[in-house]
Amino acid sequence: MAGLELLSDQGYRVDGRRAGELRKIQARMGVFAQADGSAYIEQGNTKALAVVYGPHEIRGSRSRALPDRALVNCQYSSATFSTGERKRRPHGDRKSCEMGLQLRQTFEAAILTQLHPRSQIDIYVQVLQADGGTYAACVNAATLAVLDAGIPMRDFVCACSAGFVEGTALADLSHVEEAAGGPQLALALLPASGQIALLEMDARLHEDHLERVLEAAAQAARDVHTLLDHVVRQHVREASILLGD
Amino acid sequence: MAEAVPFGAESLAGGRARAARRVLDQVVLPGEELLLPEQEDVEGPGGAGERPLRLNAGARSRLRVVCGPGLRRCGDRLLVTKCGRLRHKDPGSGSSGGVYWVDSQQKRYVPVKGDHVIGIVTAKSGDIFKVDVGGSEPASLSYLAFEGATKRNRPNVQVGDLIYGQFVVANKDMEPEMVCIDSCGRANGMGVIGHDGLLFKVTLGLIRKLLAPDCEIIQEVGRLYPLEIVFGMNGRIWVKAKTIQQTLILANILEACEHMTADQRKQIFARLAES
Repeated sequence: MAGLELLSDQGYRVDGRRAGELRKIQARMGVFAQADGSAYIEQGNTKALAVVYGPHEIRGSRSRALPDRALVNCQYSSATFSTGERKRRPHGDRKSCEMGLQLRQTFEAAILTQLHPRSQIDIYVQVLQADGGTYAACVNAATLAVLDAGIPMRDFVCACSAGFVEGTALADLSHVEEAAGGPQLALALLPASGQIALLEMDARLHEDHLERVLEAAAQAARDVHTLLDHVVRQHVREASILLGD
Repeated sequence: MAEAVPFGAESLAGGRARAARRVLDQVVLPGEELLLPEQEDVEGPGGAGERPLRLNAGARSRLRVVCGPGLRRCGDRLLVTKCGRLRHKDPGSGSSGGVYWVDSQQKRYVPVKGDHVIGIVTAKSGDIFKVDVGGSEPASLSYLAFEGATKRNRPNVQVGDLIYGQFVVANKDMEPEMVCIDSCGRANGMGVIGHDGLLFKVTLGLIRKLLAPDCEIIQEVGRLYPLEIVFGMNGRIWVKAKTIQQTLILANILEACEHMTADQRKQIFARLAES
């Protein structure tokens, strides 16, 4: 689309948001009864579903068992109907494998794996509709699912993407902004301590701008944390009311 | 590979530690830090790190606080690791400061020493049975751990049987071990559970609620039909009534109890008592 303005003169983006504004986030925990933990999140038009099983016995080869911590196994899958053109291979392609590895790295930093040696925790994430920021939506959904499963975690993990257009850092990119080809960064943060679990960028960005883009992503991640905090508290309150506390 | 790097810690240090006493019965989330009672006066406006160094550290804290499920010690503070409500129990007597824990909702069981659970025998290898208790490893049960069992007199346990027993060894580093006798050598209700009846799974929170001393649900269910019921702390319930239909009704009621308020439950019981 020639001449598409990602940021207008008045400071509005393609979908009417401001530079640092997030899309609307709605989330629910405990959507599946059979799984140990599950969650669903909608970040704008991006919809992701996460399911957690564990800690359970190591499946497959026993040799993969770690003697002092749990094995975190993440699988990412995007539905064939999630993008504009129908995807041929929902899982097993390179992007899915790489996403799975990134999710695993993120959650190994947050889950207290030393409490469950020689066991396995499975996190399955499925993207139902991809409109930009799929990694962030997956991480946020998986955090809620892990909390729903009662697996001990050091802290929340909140993620957001950020980009850079005409000297301004944009937070929470949509598909149109990602496809425009500018630099984009994905950040996963542990909010209470401010530590970064994962930072990923594979574009060229001048180092003078890095600080600003990083700060925009971190602020957006903290905003996501505020929302997820509210969702979890609501869920715990409802659950404990029904149990009659 | 999975190292976390501090980023602008001075601007993001929102972890304001709150006093544990003030957060009782409220929802706490992972990442929050709680202060124990004896640290509150010390943590003045200046924050941590202003305490004078004491030579006899033992005399500082008289209270010994026990850190229960959902909490970890992190330096001097308690770090919350699960989401739920914070609870506290006073010790009553003695100098310990009581127990703090987080009441969280969970479906997956983690073996704890002393818990009574229902297990399913999955394998028989030599002198021990492998019992699936729903945790991350099958528990082992020796054939001598039954009442009146000797080397000549082996208990009649087959693969697929239901066993009600308790854990004698259950920690994160070792395979859990269970037995069907208590410390005096008597069965005390443990052992192989009968062949009829229905086994189903509920959440751990519901089991704890049903096993509370004066639980209305159990009294109401008992008034409805005569029944036999076994509760396992691993979320499994075995129920048996006179007919299959009554058994199924009881199983459905207990599973649905989690999502019903007290009034809805009373309505359902009233309707069943009429029919």
